[in-house]
Amino acid sequence: MAVVDTGYTSRRHLWRRVRIVAGVVLCALFLFPVFWMVLSSFKMPKDIFTTPPVLFFEPTLETYRSYMSRADITRRMLNTVIVAFGSGALSIVAGTMAGYALARVRLRGAGTIGVLILMSRGVPPIALAVPMFLVARKLGLTDKHITLILAYCTFLIPYVMWLMRAFFQSLPRELEEAAMLDGCGRFGAFFKIIVPISIPGILSTLIFSVILAWEELLFALVLTNRNASTIPVAIAGIAGDTVNGANWGALTAVGTLTVVPVVIFALAVQKWLITGLSEGATKG
Amino acid sequence: MAVTDHSEGARQARTRSGRDWSDLVSRWSFMLPAAIILAAVLAYPILYTFQISFASLDLATFTATEWVGFENYREILGDRGFWNSMKVTGIYLAWALPIQMILGFGIAYLINVEWKGRSAVRALFLIPMVVAPVVAGGIWRMMLDPLWGMVNWFLGLLGLGNPDWLGDPNLAMATIVIIDTWRWTPFVILIATAALMALPKDVFEAADIDGANWWTKLWSITIPLLVPIIAATFVVRWLGAVKMFDIVLASTRGGPGDATNVVNLYIYEQAFRSLRFAESAAMAVVVLVLTMILTGLFLIGTRRLERSY
Repeated sequence: MAVVDTGYTSRRHLWRRVRIVAGVVLCALFLFPVFWMVLSSFKMPKDIFTTPPVLFFEPTLETYRSYMSRADITRRMLNTVIVAFGSGALSIVAGTMAGYALARVRLRGAGTIGVLILMSRGVPPIALAVPMFLVARKLGLTDKHITLILAYCTFLIPYVMWLMRAFFQSLPRELEEAAMLDGCGRFGAFFKIIVPISIPGILSTLIFSVILAWEELLFALVLTNRNASTIPVAIAGIAGDTVNGANWGALTAVGTLTVVPVVIFALAVQKWLITGLSEGATKG
Repeated sequence: MAVTDHSEGARQARTRSGRDWSDLVSRWSFMLPAAIILAAVLAYPILYTFQISFASLDLATFTATEWVGFENYREILGDRGFWNSMKVTGIYLAWALPIQMILGFGIAYLINVEWKGRSAVRALFLIPMVVAPVVAGGIWRMMLDPLWGMVNWFLGLLGLGNPDWLGDPNLAMATIVIIDTWRWTPFVILIATAALMALPKDVFEAADIDGANWWTKLWSITIPLLVPIIAATFVVRWLGAVKMFDIVLASTRGGPGDATNVVNLYIYEQAFRSLRFAESAAMAVVVLVLTMILTGLFLIGTRRLERSY
């Protein structure tokens, strides 16, 4: 019996090791394109356009230098920061309050509102982009940060409402009951008790919203052209530039500049992001 | 709250209804900021799209001028490009969604082993999904280049030829599906991993005692328990995938020909390049209604599945 047993367990051990190795290999495979982009951004054109592709080369910051000095990239970077954080902040305030209302304040019609939020996530952005462009054009609001910030609220606020609703539902009810007994009104209880203890949840939702706004392309393409234009628009321009041929140096450098801050952000709050993601999926 | 006297009671009832009213206001004021913003930037534009779709648009003032009834809809009914873009979107969805679901849950199941590096691997899987889709389209376009791309160099080493990823219509669609799958499978893996880790351990222990093999455990315990989450993940992926735009714009720009011209890109080009705003509003309405119907059906289906498992 003992012999059979060890055979069984050693087979299990082997299988376990195979699964671990598979996980690492698959993870590396999924990370490879990002690695390749970052690597290529430090290459001279002669190292980019070679066969076989080179892994070791003399790294240079030339591409970054030539692109960062071009005013529109720096300005677009700044615009992207303003718009992403502006829309993130606005949505987190409005969405957290509304999420709290849906979770805790008994409202007639809260169920209907919940279904409406879910449905709103299915609205194709192009159905909003066309009328927004026409209205912004009429009101003279094209190419302004505030226009883009408001446009991003269309998908960020429902998202924040949904995530924060789930978050508030998981908090013990006694908290605000105690606060109300202490003479805090509903607002007092929310801002003095609920918000402070919800900071981790609020922060991770905020970061996720900033990331979503950071990457947005369609509204930025439609509603801006120079002053408020963002980095994704620049990347779409570089990638789609068929006249000058493939400008891979610029693509990888600007791509790296776009991706690296977001990756740092995401890894910093990864624990919350992963929970938030699964919450958003299973309860959304 | 003891009421002693009739007139006193009436007065109290009045103030109480006054308090009820202010209570109602304080309840709803939590919804107010979100409601105002969403009414202005979400509800109003949707209504405006409906209005434009029944009107003709004056390009000098960018306002809807004349009510034309179903004229725009008749127009797009005969628009081959529009129907092609619907078909292309359907093909993309029919490939991408099942592939991502199967790969995501399959990989999560395969690598669901407890070990030191597990949480690090899980964190690293976050990275592809926070790469901006437009960047994803760009890098993959570079890697898949037939002349200088590293993918074809690698395929050449294996003697697998030199496929023209972006030039061949069928392969271009495959390319879009590959890029989208690269970006979104990690999302499915993360959710599936969280779900697998939350499965009740005692059921599996009981099955072990009964001598069930892993195949039986997979099919009669794991998958049935996961069905609600599989369904919910599918709905989330569906809601994201119907918005497909950035990756196509950055990698194939709808080409070659119209082979990867998904409906969002087609409407975008019709509106902002050909300035056919009224027709594109009609197309947007068609897409909106179809998406809403399908989303509603998927949600109902999800509820059913949740109840029956």
